[in-house]
Amino acid sequence: MRHVISVLLQNEVGALTRMTGLFSTRGYNIDSLNVAPTDNPAVSRVTLVIEGSDSAIAQLNTQLAKLVDVVNIHDMTLGEHFERELAIVKMKLATGGYARVLKLAADFGAEILDDAQNSCTIQLTGRLAEIDAFLDRAADIGTLSAVARSGSVAVSKGEVTLSSYARVHRLTG
Amino acid sequence: MTIQQPADRTQLHPLAGTRMTGADIVVQVLADENVDTIFGYSGGAILPTYDAVFRYNDANRKADGSSPIPLIVPANEQGAGFMAAGYARASGKVGVVLVTSGPGATNTVTPVRDCMADSVPIVVICGQVPTHAIGTDAFQEAPVSAIMGAVAKHVFLVTDPLKLESTLRSAFELARTGRPGPVVIDIPKDVQNWEGDFLGSGTLPLTGYRARLQAVVDNRLTDEACERLYTMLARSERPLIYAGGGVINANATKAMRHFASDYGIPVATTLMALGASDTTHPLSLHMLGMHGTAFANYAVEDCDLLIAVGARFDDRVAGDPARFAPNAKFVAHFDVDVSEVGKVKGVNWHHIGILKRDLDDLLAYGKRIGFKKTFADWHAEIAQLKSQHRLNYDRASDLIQPYAVIEEINRIAKGQAIISTGVGQHQMWAAQYFDFREPRLWLTSGSMGTMGFGLPAAIGAQFARRDRMVIDIDGDGSMRMNIGELETATTYGLPIKVIVLNNFGDGMVRQWQKLYYKGRMSGSDKSLHRKDFVKTAEADGFEFAKRLDRKEDLKKVIGEFMQFPGPAFLEVIIDPDAGVYPMVGPGLSYDKMITGDHIASREKPVEDTPGPSEMF
Repeated sequence: MRHVISVLLQNEVGALTRMTGLFSTRGYNIDSLNVAPTDNPAVSRVTLVIEGSDSAIAQLNTQLAKLVDVVNIHDMTLGEHFERELAIVKMKLATGGYARVLKLAADFGAEILDDAQNSCTIQLTGRLAEIDAFLDRAADIGTLSAVARSGSVAVSKGEVTLSSYARVHRLTG
Repeated sequence: MTIQQPADRTQLHPLAGTRMTGADIVVQVLADENVDTIFGYSGGAILPTYDAVFRYNDANRKADGSSPIPLIVPANEQGAGFMAAGYARASGKVGVVLVTSGPGATNTVTPVRDCMADSVPIVVICGQVPTHAIGTDAFQEAPVSAIMGAVAKHVFLVTDPLKLESTLRSAFELARTGRPGPVVIDIPKDVQNWEGDFLGSGTLPLTGYRARLQAVVDNRLTDEACERLYTMLARSERPLIYAGGGVINANATKAMRHFASDYGIPVATTLMALGASDTTHPLSLHMLGMHGTAFANYAVEDCDLLIAVGARFDDRVAGDPARFAPNAKFVAHFDVDVSEVGKVKGVNWHHIGILKRDLDDLLAYGKRIGFKKTFADWHAEIAQLKSQHRLNYDRASDLIQPYAVIEEINRIAKGQAIISTGVGQHQMWAAQYFDFREPRLWLTSGSMGTMGFGLPAAIGAQFARRDRMVIDIDGDGSMRMNIGELETATTYGLPIKVIVLNNFGDGMVRQWQKLYYKGRMSGSDKSLHRKDFVKTAEADGFEFAKRLDRKEDLKKVIGEFMQFPGPAFLEVIIDPDAGVYPMVGPGLSYDKMITGDHIASREKPVEDTPGPSEMF
């Protein structure tokens, strides 16, 4: 199963290396990885997408939670959540392609960032399926000369923030 | 109970506000942490701190003129790492290593990983090239934080000198709290030379770590949890405690023994936990697992309730987790690390907390509800297993049997000496044939299985425990790995006893090659090697250095060896075909244990060799 894991990580030298290193150490590949600052300058938010059985990912999360730099961790897939991705796509266009690009952008609510002659750059934010569908259609219109995707970012639905470790992993049971 | 360091703000450190160099701050924090020995090797990038150690010792001499923080110099930094590990294992205190950048640091990778795998608290301080030179492929530069990040409990690269002091204190806190482990601090030379005010207090926030640890500390055993465990015990006729190294790390030996003896629950210990139960006790089953005693492994097969305490169902214990303790209706698990719960084998009951306290609480609950249950039939079965399937070997052979050597040393040491080992057959023979009356007397590289561990660990242990006899039981292969440390033992006049059981090769490898590779002794035979161990020991200053190669001399020579007041070295030429039995093949369940020619088996031997993938 596909898991989306959110981590608050202390901004320390090598913290990200230690975290991503743990995945290879324990034999996992990361499908997508997003790292960015938060409102707290000492902490970054990391979003990882990874494939694995529920029990294997639960075990992996307990290992992640042993890293000193990890402030908090939660498997978003355990509950309702919002997951979005940003893509910036550069296309080479044949003559007459631009009209189709305008239609495509309107259909997906994408923003055209740059529309130079025979080339244009479009930005789209959305669910992963939307981005995939957008890329499929864009590929029909022109040649995709660059595809830059942010990787997933996610937050849980409702008032819940990154759940505490103790709530996910029962210390007595 | 709180895990925050007691920051006694009312009592200022006497040196607070003093101007110091970074190097002086390092040494002052070590002194404040009650460090009484540093193991390390100097070099360019750590010179300022070596100088600070010298100056500290010079300015703070003890009444007898000795240094308060002596610096013990090994032959190789790996030796320093294992000395610190031996020191930590024997004392329960944090071992300290001080090495230079580049090769100095990378030579400690093996002991750091070894300490991580066996949960041993050490702090390794490495010099690093100056901050401005990091990443330029400077002389003696290595990416220590990247390398150590993968193997240590935590690693700090101190780039901000203002954080040096708090980082050092935090390193000790991290090393000793929770599940103990190695912490590495990489300190660029310019940070060591920096000058600033010593604050005398303060640690890093460690927000996530402290919160998780606090949750564990706050997690007291509830009456409800106790009740569920006692219900399991009440329904059990054959309960068994499976004790692991966590019992020793948590200093919970007394509490565990109390619980076991009050309710008459037999105890089998892992390799790491030898000494957690008194192995001479009738209900102690000694060691379980791949080379555990047959009676311990049969008891695991037979038990109907398994209580794992500070143990982690390692593959050397539970080679086939699904068929480990197959008759146990219930499995309970105490640990300090929640990631170990259900990692290998599902359990019916678990509790993550402070082990000593939790076991005391558990026993107190039992007393309160007046729990009573006798396991007389089970005790009788245990007694029978212990007598029918006791360890044994070829006593009639003309060749010196390694087991006999250990038995003779044990007769003199009486389970009171500190024993360290290398890795291989000699390690298992020592684990099997020594008595262990107390915790922290058994120093061995369990999880990592690092050959060469024994000699430096013995040296470190002797520094921690001047009052105890320290014996390194080594093999010829393991001894070669860190043989340079023989000189370290004589340099510091340590009365350690070093014994090499020489079977002219890597015996454990040969045993597997006989079993699984049709006897092709690839790379494991050393019968043509020219090493003269006795001359080596003599050259390194051992005044007692002997070779024992005649069975009839065994008692006499071992007696002399043990009684020699200074460093003593003994090579024993043993039967090269002596094997380690019992043996549960890798990936197999205990019913497929082979017991060899001299230990009674209760099962028919099964022709079952593991597939190549499980065979490790």
